[in-house]
Amino acid sequence: MKLSLGALLAICLAGLQFLAVLTVVLLSYVTSERVLLNHARTLLSDLGNNAILHSKGFLEPARGTAELAKRLAENDIVASDDPEELEKLLFQQLSLAPQFSGVYLGDEQGNFVYVNRGDGPAQYRTKIVSVVDGQRSTRLIWRDTDFGIVLAEDDPTDNFDPRTRPWYITAKATRDIIWTDPYIFFSSKRPGITAASPVIGDTGDLSGVVGVDIEIDAISGFLARLKIGQQGTAMILNRNGDVIAHPDPDLIKVENADGSLGFVSIEDIPDPIAKTAFGDLTTQDVREIGYEVKSEFEHDGAKYVSTLIPALSDELPWTIAIYAPEDDFIGGIKENRKRNIWIAAGVALASGLIGLWLAQFINAPVRDFASNAERGDAAKGTYPELQDARDTLISEIEQRKTFEREFGATFDLASRGMAQIDPVTGRFVRVNTHLSDILGYSDAELLEIGLVDILHPDERAAGPSIRDAVNSGVEYNQESRFLRKDGETVWLRINAIMIRDEHGVALHTVATVDDVTTQKLAETKIGDLNRDLSHFSRVSMMGQMASGLAHELNQPLTAITQNADAALLTVQAQKNADPELIEILNELDGQAHRGADIIRALRGFVSKDSGAKVAFDFGELVDQTFRLVHPESVQHDIEMNFNAATLPHVYGNRIQVAQVLVNLLRNAIQAIADSDGQVRRIDVNASVNGNVLQVCVDDTGAGVSPDIDLFAQFETSKPDGMGLGLTFSRAIIEANGGQLWFDEKQASKSRFCFTVPTGKGDIDV
Amino acid sequence: MSDHSMTVFLVDDDPDIRSSLSRALSKRGFNVETFPSAATFLDGYDGLVDGCLLLDYGMADMNGLELQQHLADAGQTIPIIFITGHGGIAESVTAMKAGAVDFLEKPFRQQTLVDCINEAFAKARRIQEAAAKNKAHHDNFARLTMREKEITQLMVSNSSTISSKEIGRILDISPRTVDHHRARILEKMATKTVAELVDICLRAELFQVNL
Repeated sequence: MKLSLGALLAICLAGLQFLAVLTVVLLSYVTSERVLLNHARTLLSDLGNNAILHSKGFLEPARGTAELAKRLAENDIVASDDPEELEKLLFQQLSLAPQFSGVYLGDEQGNFVYVNRGDGPAQYRTKIVSVVDGQRSTRLIWRDTDFGIVLAEDDPTDNFDPRTRPWYITAKATRDIIWTDPYIFFSSKRPGITAASPVIGDTGDLSGVVGVDIEIDAISGFLARLKIGQQGTAMILNRNGDVIAHPDPDLIKVENADGSLGFVSIEDIPDPIAKTAFGDLTTQDVREIGYEVKSEFEHDGAKYVSTLIPALSDELPWTIAIYAPEDDFIGGIKENRKRNIWIAAGVALASGLIGLWLAQFINAPVRDFASNAERGDAAKGTYPELQDARDTLISEIEQRKTFEREFGATFDLASRGMAQIDPVTGRFVRVNTHLSDILGYSDAELLEIGLVDILHPDERAAGPSIRDAVNSGVEYNQESRFLRKDGETVWLRINAIMIRDEHGVALHTVATVDDVTTQKLAETKIGDLNRDLSHFSRVSMMGQMASGLAHELNQPLTAITQNADAALLTVQAQKNADPELIEILNELDGQAHRGADIIRALRGFVSKDSGAKVAFDFGELVDQTFRLVHPESVQHDIEMNFNAATLPHVYGNRIQVAQVLVNLLRNAIQAIADSDGQVRRIDVNASVNGNVLQVCVDDTGAGVSPDIDLFAQFETSKPDGMGLGLTFSRAIIEANGGQLWFDEKQASKSRFCFTVPTGKGDIDV
Repeated sequence: MSDHSMTVFLVDDDPDIRSSLSRALSKRGFNVETFPSAATFLDGYDGLVDGCLLLDYGMADMNGLELQQHLADAGQTIPIIFITGHGGIAESVTAMKAGAVDFLEKPFRQQTLVDCINEAFAKARRIQEAAAKNKAHHDNFARLTMREKEITQLMVSNSSTISSKEIGRILDISPRTVDHHRARILEKMATKTVAELVDICLRAELFQVNL
């Protein structure tokens, strides 16, 4: 089904809108997700480092305290055998740092002073073990914050010996400050660690070990207070994989098989997320983490990010492990994304609806216009401009169609050959029937070739090619020979121009082709006639002169011979006739005859060229002679007319008759040229009169003076004439069996007439 | 050498020719009369065939051929010898076809001219004799009765083989009567055979019918 313009517009609009919003939303989601995740990791990392710093800060006073106590002891500022001073010192130290749960000093003799925060009657409790001469006593003192004694009692059951404790043994062995692994304090049941520092005497011997207990319970509290997203959790793992600090301090304590308390291993921690995140870390892994490791994991369908920050220091080989759900960081933008998609859909829908309405609004007049156009309704629609444009369009289309039709018809029916030629290949792309007729090829055959393919071989080298001419913007106009399909030569006048579009790009060459073969042949004939005439004229002028001379000379020669004959007879009649005189008279007669013979020979010689008589078309001959003298008539502004009905062929020497006609026409032109008459015209009239064709040449010249003997030999009215023209013409016409005369009856003009036998006359020689 | 009953009529517009030619011919014993133009000849010619015409072809006004044509049209039969200064073959042919004795180009050998004149004279004499003979035939024919003229006409016009029976049927008379008339006709016309009669009738143009 074809969608309406309106629906299409609406769908496109809505779709585009939706796509655009969606693209923006997704792009911003993707980019902000990445940014936020990075941010989350950084945050985790920062938190971890923060936890580390905090832990260090938390533990550092223990070292200071242990060092201070050690140095005081070593310098005998406080002696271990003065428990009261020692207690005071330790008490001070303990009260300074709230994270300390106890500070104590034990020596090689087994003496032990231990001040710790206690439960019971007061905040602090001191335990003093004294060994004097192998006798040990244990006294417990509870004090308030002002060091006042709240309660004091002896504990005879106590058998605590510091020298057996791990912290003492390790410190003594390393002779350096040591940190124990975290453990659950016996007394308070809280996790803690102990920093212990050996006290070296003047002799370099170990005299005792100072210890500080720190409850790391507070670290767990710190971790619990850390804000890691909403649900993020940080914990501290010991190098053996035990969880030693966790926001939920109860989680990390487990009861060992012997009833003592220990840390839970990360593998067993009842925090399932932490177990998923870090549970697969082996002890080895934890120990070997040398740098911060960031990772992501999935638990229960939710995504989490996590980070592991390696050990604080060699002394405290703890690893900070933090995890947090992704949603804590990007939940907001995820939410946002969902909302945005909905908004995009809403906007798309809204814009679709608006688009539909708009399309309707725009389309309705267009539809009206279309239906109007279909009906041909001239009524103005919503948009008069549209209507006007439509009217203009329709009329232009109509004009274009008419033009196309007319051009097509003109092209196809033109009386001239027409062709469109490809400007590059030179081939015909369109030809009309006339051209096919001229060339003898079918239309289809012509479309396979170009003009150059049918050029006459003699024309190949001559002239510029059509393509060169039209490409250089010149109109090509040449007459050349071509070969028809049947091999016959045709003369074509080709007129070609290049048609270009508005950018000047060549579209095609349009050529009009005329078959000028007949014309060319006619021109050739006229050329031949002219050549023949000039030859004939030269030769026959001599003949005419000879003939004229012959006549003029033969008369006196005849008289001479007659007189010679008479004289001879006279002499012979006399008695005693003088033989010498008789001989003279005979010679006279003979010499006169010899002269006549010479003249006769001369005349015979030139009249050899008289040529054969044939039947020919007189009308055609007149046309040709008109064209021969055309330049002269134009020069003197003379109009020449030939008036004749259909004429029979005449019989005679064509060239000789042509010569007479040319002579008469030239005389007429000369006569008009010499006059200054208004009417300047020559009329040649021909009509059949019996068995001759009578031809009259009239001119509007000044006429002929009655004093002039027109036909006298060597008499002329022209300054440069020989006076042979008319006598010569008459001689020619008479030789062709006709007559030539001047018609004196014409009042206002000169008329010369001559006759030529029609058909094959009876003057058959 | 020359027939003194005959005359040479010389027509030529060149006075030198007229004088020299007439003198030369006169020396040879010919009677010569000269005329400077065709018109003057026609004015002075009595129409008798007692000589020949020596006629120049190229003359102003009426040339030789025109005069020949003019004489022919007038029924004049005098023999004509053309002489011309610029003899064209076409003119000579025309002249000869119109019955000229010869067409001589000037200048001509005197003997040629004399031969031509003698020939022309002979022709003139034959014309004279024929005319005389015809006159006799005419006289004889006049002596025939109307019936005999009718029968002669039938014989001449329907060939000599026509039978007396047919003539009788045409004229509504008996064949015997026709036979009788035929014998009388031959006797009166001084002939012996029907063929000779027909010949005479045709040559003497006894009937004004187109046979």
